[in-house]
Amino acid sequence: MNLFVAAFGFGLVSMSVIAIAAVGFTMQFGITNMINLAYGAVMISSAYVAYYMNKAGISIWIGMAAGAMFGAVFSFLLNRFVYAPFMRKGTANLGMVIVSLAVSLMIANLLLPIVGYYPVSYQEDTGGLIHLGPIALTRDQFIVIGVAILLMLAIHALLTYTRLGKAMRATATNPTLARNCGIPTNRVVDAVWLITGALCGLAGVVAALNAGTFVIDNGAAFLITILAAAVLGGAGQPYGAMIGAVIIGLMTELSAAAWSPQYKEVVAFGVLVLVMVLRPQGLLAKRGALAAAG
Amino acid sequence: MKTFHLASRLSLPLVALLLLAACGGSSTSTGAGLGSGALLVGVIAPFTGADAGLGPAYYAACLPAALEINNNGGVGGRQVSCQKFDTRGEPADAVPAANAMIAGNSNLMAVVGCTSDEASSVVPIIDSAHIPMYCMTGQSEFNKTPLKYFHRLVPADVYDAYAMVGSALYGPGHSPYHKAALVFGNDIGSQAFVGPATAAFTKLGGTIAINQPINLTPGTSYRTEVRAMLDSKPDVILTEALGAAGTYLKEVKSQNNGQMIPFLGTSATIDPVWFQQVRDAIGISDFLKYYGGVDLGYTFSGPAYTEFLTNLNASATQFADAPKYKQRGSTLHLYDGILMTALAMVATNSADPKVYNSKIIDIGNGTSGATVVNTYKDGVAALKAGKSIRFVGAGGENQFNQYNNSQSGYILVTYDKDGNEVKVGELTPQQTSTIINAGGA
Repeated sequence: MNLFVAAFGFGLVSMSVIAIAAVGFTMQFGITNMINLAYGAVMISSAYVAYYMNKAGISIWIGMAAGAMFGAVFSFLLNRFVYAPFMRKGTANLGMVIVSLAVSLMIANLLLPIVGYYPVSYQEDTGGLIHLGPIALTRDQFIVIGVAILLMLAIHALLTYTRLGKAMRATATNPTLARNCGIPTNRVVDAVWLITGALCGLAGVVAALNAGTFVIDNGAAFLITILAAAVLGGAGQPYGAMIGAVIIGLMTELSAAAWSPQYKEVVAFGVLVLVMVLRPQGLLAKRGALAAAG
Repeated sequence: MKTFHLASRLSLPLVALLLLAACGGSSTSTGAGLGSGALLVGVIAPFTGADAGLGPAYYAACLPAALEINNNGGVGGRQVSCQKFDTRGEPADAVPAANAMIAGNSNLMAVVGCTSDEASSVVPIIDSAHIPMYCMTGQSEFNKTPLKYFHRLVPADVYDAYAMVGSALYGPGHSPYHKAALVFGNDIGSQAFVGPATAAFTKLGGTIAINQPINLTPGTSYRTEVRAMLDSKPDVILTEALGAAGTYLKEVKSQNNGQMIPFLGTSATIDPVWFQQVRDAIGISDFLKYYGGVDLGYTFSGPAYTEFLTNLNASATQFADAPKYKQRGSTLHLYDGILMTALAMVATNSADPKVYNSKIIDIGNGTSGATVVNTYKDGVAALKAGKSIRFVGAGGENQFNQYNNSQSGYILVTYDKDGNEVKVGELTPQQTSTIINAGGA
């Protein structure tokens, strides 16, 4: 029984990491209509930015902030100089997916000669174990959970109470109508790439910290889990992505405790398939903050 | 008139023969002469994916071997180069890679790599193409393989597993371990260790606290797996060169209140990539205190090794990390394999693998009265002097059996703080025999 409770605690950490990444990914899609398969590559690039800062003796928490800033700027530039020109030319959605896949491969291959294929780690004292009954997590893991909760609350506040958030929702629902109503949709889209890019960069550092060691291939692996959480919750739905993250995060850890750990991803993705069969639009489709009224 | 008819009758096949000779060096394929043009060694191995650390070790074998050959006249004047073929450690990717390698390169003289991840799928393809290969696979299916072009210069994984059990039971610096956790990847190659290790360890009085076939997907955290492993209270972890070793062992230390438990690794853990990631993950002091490994009995000295080291360092211009593989067993062996192949070509004066393949065993094992040589240059000189040779390379002597498997004994090792291998003991013949009998090999 203790193992299951411990696994539940570990699941909280996993879901926190997934949530930060998946909310950024799904917001990007919900507002810009862009399935950005380079998201994982930007994550791992940000993780390496933090790594090199950490290697130079800078705290990983400052590195995390730098990773978020890097992710924001990188994503913004990607949209401005790669995606937006294609979109202006009327490239179809499927074409944009292929473009983002190409960007992902280019980033990974450009990065490889720089960072190498060696697994690397952040040099950070994890702060020892803190026990909450049978749940024992490190200080860093509690911080990751805390960061995720704060970010989710901040996203909720942004979308619900701010002018920018309302403009985002309007742009997501009907960009032409939003533009006609005087909303500067181009600037909104820029803001979305900056905000979701920051989430992407932050998620990259958090995921690398969570994994202990990381290599460039982690980017592609992250993306699969993020996609799963986003699709499970309903594509384009930030709250759905949060719920998706909870399900995927907890299922992977609990199934590792219940059965052989080699099947933990099979179980998590089995749940995804089941939900897709029963509710193809995802758990929260048309109910989230970014959805069209319906 | 009669003469004219004879000439015209002969002219057609003669022209055909000349045309055949002109197309693709058929003069070399008859076994007469070494031909001309560049030769290629294919390095078919994972360069990306979970086992991406393996391919560079084999590429680092090929580059110095090519230098050694090229700096000493080539193979009958033909220069040798190396090319990577990425299998991603997956049979599904390995088969097209192998087919592309063969279809696109008629000048392949040898292939190295073919790890346990992909050996079952690519070895038959390479064998069908009649290309000599040196595979770093430990799978038992190759213990008695009928494939003539397959060569293995390291023992099967089963012996690596037995050596680890020997280290756990008889290793220096600790009392015998009795309760082991087996932490191996859930891939084909990794699981080859589990059965033999379990059989030998339990029959010699030990118990398996937990057997964890773990998921090697990059980015996976192993918190729950480590919790379950710690709950089983093992006194030692038997493991291998997992790409995720740093993640797993860091989690062990974290969840065990900063304390490591001893971990013993296979010979593949004598690897600079593995050393670096585990050192960075748990710290050098814990690494040196708790790690034990097994390896084949290399001396890392002598003329063959010196020559290897010179060429390896010179290879840094093509592959900056090459010098890091100076003590990687597979790097040494594959280097030797390529040199033996080149010497076999010179010895048979043929670039036809059907001719020189069988000579490789003679070069490795030596025949009666053979002159022992340690470098390619000495080998070529001896062959030109009409002598038969035995090549003893950087990895030491080879003893090929009738299945082209070369066997050798194990030593118990650890690392020093700089990542150099340090021998700490060896298993006696009696201990080795006891373990093998217990394991049922």
